[in-house]
Amino acid sequence: MKVLTVTLNPALDREVVVNNFQINELHRINNQKYSVMEPGGKGINVSLILSGLGLPSIAMGFLGGFIGSIVEQKLRMLSDLVTTNFVFVDEETRENLAIIDPSNDTITEINSLGPNIDEKSLKQFMRRFDISLKRAECMVFSGSIPPGVPADYCMELVKKAKDSGKMVISESTGDHFELAVKNGLLTVVKPDLRSKKEYMGETLKSLEDYVKAAEETVKMGSKMAILSYEIEGDVVATSEGVWLLKAKEHIERSHLLGTGDSFVAGVVYRLLKNRKDLLEAAKWGMAAAIAETKFIGKEFISIEDVEMCTESFELSRLR
Amino acid sequence: MKVKNAMIKDVSAIFENETVEEFIVSCIRKNRSGFPVVDEHFRVVGFISESDIINNALPSYFSLLQSASFIPDTHQFVRKIGEIKDEPVSKFMVTPPIVVHPEDTAIHAADLLIKKRLKAIPVVDDEHQLVGIFTRINLIHVALEGKINSR
Repeated sequence: MKVLTVTLNPALDREVVVNNFQINELHRINNQKYSVMEPGGKGINVSLILSGLGLPSIAMGFLGGFIGSIVEQKLRMLSDLVTTNFVFVDEETRENLAIIDPSNDTITEINSLGPNIDEKSLKQFMRRFDISLKRAECMVFSGSIPPGVPADYCMELVKKAKDSGKMVISESTGDHFELAVKNGLLTVVKPDLRSKKEYMGETLKSLEDYVKAAEETVKMGSKMAILSYEIEGDVVATSEGVWLLKAKEHIERSHLLGTGDSFVAGVVYRLLKNRKDLLEAAKWGMAAAIAETKFIGKEFISIEDVEMCTESFELSRLR
Repeated sequence: MKVKNAMIKDVSAIFENETVEEFIVSCIRKNRSGFPVVDEHFRVVGFISESDIINNALPSYFSLLQSASFIPDTHQFVRKIGEIKDEPVSKFMVTPPIVVHPEDTAIHAADLLIKKRLKAIPVVDDEHQLVGIFTRINLIHVALEGKINSR
């Protein structure tokens, strides 16, 4: 198993498609297809997308209660390339609700906090993590952290991976993530800028802000930083330069779901073929993300889908 | 059909030095009746199920009774469970474990499940490390779909 994905705070993602969604109104969903339930959490999503690309992975994290069981079972139903190794806690796994409105091109998301993780479960997880890590080449550490998991604990996880020579790719936000970035523990850094355009205590506004933040990240020890810039673009920095990758076509907001995870999966897939060629990996990530936007909601893109999108964006060197 | 096509790709396991209490809590939280027991290298060294705990908490003569619809001494049962809760699972597990390999036929795994009256069999790779689990419901499912004899 080359890839280990860690999702400390998985979720049951519920997606409803409602045309002309309005608050304070009753909406009925007349087609069952427009109300779906899927396992979620950024690491799990990456595992699923990788399995669409034919790459097996092991998924770890904390699950709990009925919702936790549904997440695990759904994950199994969706893919036979994902091996599960979750520690179950006492409280229920969270649910995330996304209301997709194609008419107005909006996504409204409501994400809950997640279960409290007790100390015993943290210990149990660490032992299992140590073993799974040994068998992997690459660790994906993405998403939010549930209550009860200290930032130090996350640091320990990524530090172990880095110290044993594994690649660590992370898309996340918050103190634990920024601490890992500052300590140069992550190979590829992708700040999750969906809810706030804030990173390392700065509010990102101009393209120059993004370029600076990406460059700083690489200086702190990461091999590559990827910052999504406006809807169609991504700023990518390595020790060799800074680039802007920009989709040629306009992308509908309602098609953005899961594109960040596809980006990460694309990068992982390519880096496993060649650890050195970072820019190529970023291009593959971009192509995977654009491929994902062809679908409404989360779907599994194939290698052919990604290859069809390798020309769908422009690459311009900024530095 | 091979084991690898029918197994559940889940590697939940109990470490040999984790406690009976941790095992019981895991069973409840995961809605399982047993787990493979592994060492520090994730090699399967045993299998522990709820019946191993129950049998241990009951008086030794209990197994001699052909059919008993009651527990002869509930106080003893409760006391015994309390006594063993902090003990390592390695004390109560079945060892050496019965295992199958991903490349084994599903028929072979089915045969073991039925003849040995098992609920689940750990699936291990060449290094004896856990890679999945083959359960009764997997057996019934492949049989139901008529795939058990297919290649």
